Amino acid sequence: MTLTDAELERYSRQLVMPEWSGAAQQRLRSASAIVIGAGALGCPAATYLVAAGIGRIGIVDEDEVEMSNLHRQPLHLTPDIGARKADNAMVKLGFLNPEVVIEPFPARLEGFNAEALLAGADVVVDCSDSFATRYLVNDVACALGIPLVEAGVLGLSGLVMSIRPRESACYRCAFPVEPAPGSLPSCREGGVLGAIAGVLGSLQALEAIKLVTGVGEPLRDRILQFEGALASPTVIATRRRADCAACGDPAHPVPEPAATPERV
Amino acid sequence: MSGRASSPPARRELDLAGVPCPLNWVRTRLALEAMQPGEELTVRLDPGEPRESVPRSAREDGHLVREDAELVRIVRR
Repeated sequence: MTLTDAELERYSRQLVMPEWSGAAQQRLRSASAIVIGAGALGCPAATYLVAAGIGRIGIVDEDEVEMSNLHRQPLHLTPDIGARKADNAMVKLGFLNPEVVIEPFPARLEGFNAEALLAGADVVVDCSDSFATRYLVNDVACALGIPLVEAGVLGLSGLVMSIRPRESACYRCAFPVEPAPGSLPSCREGGVLGAIAGVLGSLQALEAIKLVTGVGEPLRDRILQFEGALASPTVIATRRRADCAACGDPAHPVPEPAATPERV
Repeated sequence: MSGRASSPPARRELDLAGVPCPLNWVRTRLALEAMQPGEELTVRLDPGEPRESVPRSAREDGHLVREDAELVRIVRR
């Protein structure tokens, strides 16, 4: 289906980019994303996906808006305190772009529902705030073969990586040892500046758009780390592990590269 | 030569009078995207900024552009 007059006007500033095209816009409109978490990363990630014209987006979050969320979760405003984040995100994103189908899932992503929540998506954007959820999302996305964008933030720094299951390193390949619960500080304990979450959440949207449209080069076997205190980006090389519990296949081991630079 | 191969390249027309920048270039670009290389698109544009910027953008995208007083003709690259 061709783009409507309203879509041409809404997306005109991206349709004129040399890297973009009507075909890219239509691929984005045909795509479905699922965003895990409507918090510090999920607000900017979902905002830019919806603004750019993703066709459908699901928002998974069981929490309610609290006063202490507002400094880093810009879809949630002071009058929204007490509202469910998934529902409030749907309302705000609907104001932003009524062309997009927005589905709220006010539930916690857990082992029993993860596959049902992710199934059918063209890209998973993991904006969750716990390592347990992050590994679960990674493992289910790998099992279902759905491209995934992972990110995490703490304090003034964060990282982002894109994953094409069984083609590039997954989150578990890069970080095979799950931190013990409580061994690393959470946002609640360690704190986080809203702007750094905005940077990383926006990068997640950018990666997801690249993954579903084929425009540009998503991060592949690379982790982009951003140290906000120094405004310093670092790209860390990573690679698949044959014995990865999420994406490994001992029958078809991953070939060893001649040399793997630790940092590129 | 077969009849199909010898048929002249398709010509298309786009009347963008009254369509402001950059929407006129968006429409031109999408029309070109739907055409085959070598096909010609004839575009009518308002004088002033539209008449200046759309041909420039088309050249920047690598298309062949010819202009006369009335119309802009763009051959898709």
